[in-house]
Amino acid sequence: MTDNVTLMVGLPGQGMHLHLDALSLLFLCILAPQVLASAVAGMRFSVTFWVFVFGMVLALAAGDAFTLIFGFELMSAASWLLVLRGDQRPATLYITIAIFSSACLIPAVFLPASSIAFVLIALGTGAKAGLAPLHSWLPKAHPAPPAGVSALMSGGMVKIALYVLIRYAFIVLTGAAQPWWGVVLIVAGIASVVIGALRAMLETEMKTMLACSTVEHVGLIAVGLGIALRAKAMGDPALTAVALQAALLCAVAHGLFKPLLFLGAGEVKHATGTTSLNWLGGLMRGQPRLGALMLLGAAGMAALPLGPGFAPEFLLLHAVIAAAATGGILARIGFTFALAALGLGAALALGAAVRLIGIGFLGRPRSLHAASAEDARRGPLFGMGLLAVLMLPVALVPGQVLAAMMPVVTLLAPQAEIHLLSYTPLPLILLAFLIATATGFILHRWGVRGTREAAPWNGGFGRAPVWLPFGDPTTQPSATGFAEPVTRAIARGILGKHGTDPAETYLVAPLQRLHLRGVRLAERIRRATIRQRLGVVFAALVMFLLALGLAEGG
Amino acid sequence: MNLTFSLAHLMGGLILLCAFLLLSQRRLAAMITLYQVQALTLSAAAVWQGFAQHEVNLYLTGIITLALKGVLLPIALRQIVLRFNLTRAVESTMPMALSMMLGTGLIGIAVLVVLPSTMSAVSLTREDLAIALSVVLLGLLVMTARRSALAQIIGFLSTENGLVLAAIGMPGMPFVAEFSVALLVLLAFLVVGIFLLRIREHFDTLDITGIEDIERRGR
Repeated sequence: MTDNVTLMVGLPGQGMHLHLDALSLLFLCILAPQVLASAVAGMRFSVTFWVFVFGMVLALAAGDAFTLIFGFELMSAASWLLVLRGDQRPATLYITIAIFSSACLIPAVFLPASSIAFVLIALGTGAKAGLAPLHSWLPKAHPAPPAGVSALMSGGMVKIALYVLIRYAFIVLTGAAQPWWGVVLIVAGIASVVIGALRAMLETEMKTMLACSTVEHVGLIAVGLGIALRAKAMGDPALTAVALQAALLCAVAHGLFKPLLFLGAGEVKHATGTTSLNWLGGLMRGQPRLGALMLLGAAGMAALPLGPGFAPEFLLLHAVIAAAATGGILARIGFTFALAALGLGAALALGAAVRLIGIGFLGRPRSLHAASAEDARRGPLFGMGLLAVLMLPVALVPGQVLAAMMPVVTLLAPQAEIHLLSYTPLPLILLAFLIATATGFILHRWGVRGTREAAPWNGGFGRAPVWLPFGDPTTQPSATGFAEPVTRAIARGILGKHGTDPAETYLVAPLQRLHLRGVRLAERIRRATIRQRLGVVFAALVMFLLALGLAEGG
Repeated sequence: MNLTFSLAHLMGGLILLCAFLLLSQRRLAAMITLYQVQALTLSAAAVWQGFAQHEVNLYLTGIITLALKGVLLPIALRQIVLRFNLTRAVESTMPMALSMMLGTGLIGIAVLVVLPSTMSAVSLTREDLAIALSVVLLGLLVMTARRSALAQIIGFLSTENGLVLAAIGMPGMPFVAEFSVALLVLLAFLVVGIFLLRIREHFDTLDITGIEDIERRGR
């Protein structure tokens, strides 16, 4: 596995080198099922799609910096073309971020191992992965293209950016590693988790919501990576191993359930013409198989026990708790705060998943399109089924999956002490089943004393109007209404009054104002009269002469 | 040799004085006269340098300067003034005191720049260079400060005089350069004269404020 393959193209005299190690293999394994599922779901006839896939594979298999950047940029360019199929504005936003990311990455990969290189790598890959505060483009750009591409962008492209981050932070730059590198990742990750989960709870478009949830999961992975980086720099082998396992397992799990959900959202759009939760409802009746698969994916997104998302989050919380016992008083307080933020994020993610299934797939249809939805096509269903089957080992035997990923952890942190996860859900299932049966029996036997009559609860419906004898579906709680308590309780505090992303308020808007000011200045210069231009040039000349004279004379 | 320095510096000083007075003059006729005096002094300086450096080319420069700038251009400028009826024209863009203070500052900057940076050079060229740079800067100031097109042309011509002064002070400057500069000035003057006629046709004045207004609105 250590041998290099040299291609006869690329930089003159050097060629391009391919090299596979445990880390690239792991990410290739994450990528492969998504590509297969997206291809089966209908993207296989698009040349751009395969160029996109080729770019990602090239970035993963790269053996030198040039090949890595080449694959990365190929991926960005191809995905820009794919986003352009959806809409123009998100595509422009996306290519701006992609250019910013390459402007950071290209100098960084050729710098010697130093903190500047790490900061540039973190900026470049963070912008591409949607790490706060550079995440506000992601909920706009990821939902724009067709579902197969959205799935691969959210599940795969984000992972490629994280792969570059991991490779540089843990392997290439490891000589210059500082503990604060990890802290940067942790802070950015925590911000992503809170903002992503909160926005996922509030968005009414299904695909936008899923993209926000991607921001949250990228944040979770970044927190794990940050803790591992910090622990590695501080020489804490056990904590390094736990945090790395959490981050990598989270990447694996997210790479399975998020493409599944995106493909499902695409099928919902295909069947009903919309992905707005406020116009859906009752899809479980018309699309039972799609609904069941979406339920599995939502369980993963919500990190429910016995779902694929649970083990990584469990490990991550363990890592944060363990990290809270290291470092000074500030670190302890900070990690305690991070724990609270992660808890908030998990609760909000659960809420978002409940909302996705409860509003979109249960209840009664809110529109005729939703009422007449037919079950999904065979291709996407097959792709989603493939991902769902692959989710099973991650969900039920995460210990074995982690054991298989052990070479990666040893590659990233050779001194790490790996304690394998002894989390075996099968006995837990049995135990839960026993407890549930016993509780049910006890309640049935002794819990009910006598009977009492009450007016029937009409499933939340208002009184039926005469023209709709079975109740008006629009009187059900809507997606916006479901999120209203969260809006009132938390979102106004974090997102501001109008619910705009803080990154937009504090980063994008000032940049736009700066841009406007620059444009106005350029316009004034363009409209200057001859005498004004002459005066400016003359003043510049005099200033130059003055500086020259002072420098010489002084 | 002492006389060489003294006379060269005297004539350089005269040229600088003319350039400085150009700033303070508001009437075009007086500006033209000052320019003529400047050009005549310049031709005398060129001839004197030719005598001091034993260069035939500098005599040629002096003669060309005398013929072109000392006689031909002032006559043409006066013709323009007469034709456009500008004899009594007075213009004020910048307060005179302010422009003269700026001019003094520019001379100070020129001395500050040239004297330390040419410490190793011959002293004849050092002071001459300082004076020449001052004349160039003052001409540029006239060009930026004045609004009338004719006054701007005179500023431009004065700038060019400063350049020639720097060139004749340098031993070994090729004659072709000075000759082509003189030719360029003549051509520029012809072009600008035609432009003046066009401006006059359109706006009935040589004040270029009208053009600036059009530029602001039109683009």
